[in-house]
Amino acid sequence: MQYFNHALPLAFLKADRNGKIISYSTIARESFDLSGGHLKGIIDEESIEKLIQYSWEPGLDPVKLELNMKTREMPLCLFEVHIQWDSEDYANMLFLPKDSSNEGLMDKLMQLQKRLTSTDFELLEKKEELEQVLTRLNQLSGPFIPLSETLCLIPLFGDITADKINIISESCLKAVFAGEYDEILFDLTAVGEIEGKGIEKFTQLIKTLNFMTGSIIKLIGIKPNLAEVLNNYKLDEWVQIDQSLKQVLNIYFNRNELGAS
Amino acid sequence: MRQAEILASLLLEGNSGKVWENIRKHPQLSRIEVYQNLITPAMQHIGYLWETNQITVADEHLATATCDFVLSKLAYQSEKRQSGQKAMFLCLDGEQHYIGLKMVNSLFEEHGWDTKYFGPSLPLEYALKTAKDWKPSVIGLSVTIVYHLPKLKEYAEVFAKLPHKPAVIIGGRLAGKYDLVPYCSDRTVILKDLPETKQWLQNYEAGGQQNAIF
Repeated sequence: MQYFNHALPLAFLKADRNGKIISYSTIARESFDLSGGHLKGIIDEESIEKLIQYSWEPGLDPVKLELNMKTREMPLCLFEVHIQWDSEDYANMLFLPKDSSNEGLMDKLMQLQKRLTSTDFELLEKKEELEQVLTRLNQLSGPFIPLSETLCLIPLFGDITADKINIISESCLKAVFAGEYDEILFDLTAVGEIEGKGIEKFTQLIKTLNFMTGSIIKLIGIKPNLAEVLNNYKLDEWVQIDQSLKQVLNIYFNRNELGAS
Repeated sequence: MRQAEILASLLLEGNSGKVWENIRKHPQLSRIEVYQNLITPAMQHIGYLWETNQITVADEHLATATCDFVLSKLAYQSEKRQSGQKAMFLCLDGEQHYIGLKMVNSLFEEHGWDTKYFGPSLPLEYALKTAKDWKPSVIGLSVTIVYHLPKLKEYAEVFAKLPHKPAVIIGGRLAGKYDLVPYCSDRTVILKDLPETKQWLQNYEAGGQQNAIF
């Protein structure tokens, strides 16, 4: 084994067909423990097969492959190895360290990946949470209140949206069918914005109630903006419109007292 | 091209969308079958491509990151049961091949286990600290590179001495390839692939239930 006295910027080794090291450069001596005098001593066990298979056939063209090497500092270190066979049947090998150039990039990639993954799933989780909250909110925005055996009240809260009316319809129909109400009151005092689709659903609910129960349906607490919209839906034939809950209750109780007396 | 090669090439492209589509083409497969029959062969093929000098380690890292993302997505869709059991999973210090470990972690999660998944390269001192504080009943280790084997013995012995006596299970590429018994303690279980792991898990759970009844 001979010291190869040329100032080369990379580790260089020359080996024969059996893997015996013929000569080496300064950096090769510094990087690898060459005391065995054989390539087997400096290449990871599992990379030797790769070396033999993919570069140990002499050819004219240089071969490039990645190998895990044992260096003086690291027991396992990735190198890009360039190999050129010469006319004397020796393999001339240059070793370019790979780990250092890869590692920073890989770490960054992994960090980004991790963050993306967690953000993605956190967002999904939040979205599902939000949907549940909205559904819950909708459920609570139209409570069914029986005022007497024959009179019930459903105050609506918030914006009239299709989703909300759908959810309210379900519980409302169930509750109404469970009793025998002559009058059903919808109090719209606490209603905010109105969606077209929402008011369509609301109209459907009223028609269903009307067909199925034959009860009198009264809308109360209608604000001017709501009156304007409702006007387009020709609800008059299905509902009566009253000014306030107070008024309706007055009439109801007066009538009942008269009936009783 | 075989399925494994197709999936491997999509992973190497780094295109998680296409990988996802490819996996969704097999809706009849259960999650563990997706792991065992689609992902494992594809990742093994990627290892083969490196061994045959067709790709670089950088390519492998990209494929691993892509695979990782897809696994997270797969695991996210599962319905979580609660079994009240705890397990932690880690790769030996320096070991970067963690996809198999991640799949085993999902398998335990799917069975309702509360898990701590540490991914690649966890130094023994940290692993030991968590094992002592959190007291998982199972500790899973993964090893892929032969050079890391001597460390396996150290990990296995230290965990075997823990007072709460956790079951230590070992998997990874080498478990199917070499006899790992010399690197383990007496109480270590070697599992060579996912179906074997699932079987072990089911037996373990059945054993636990029996203990609870009698």
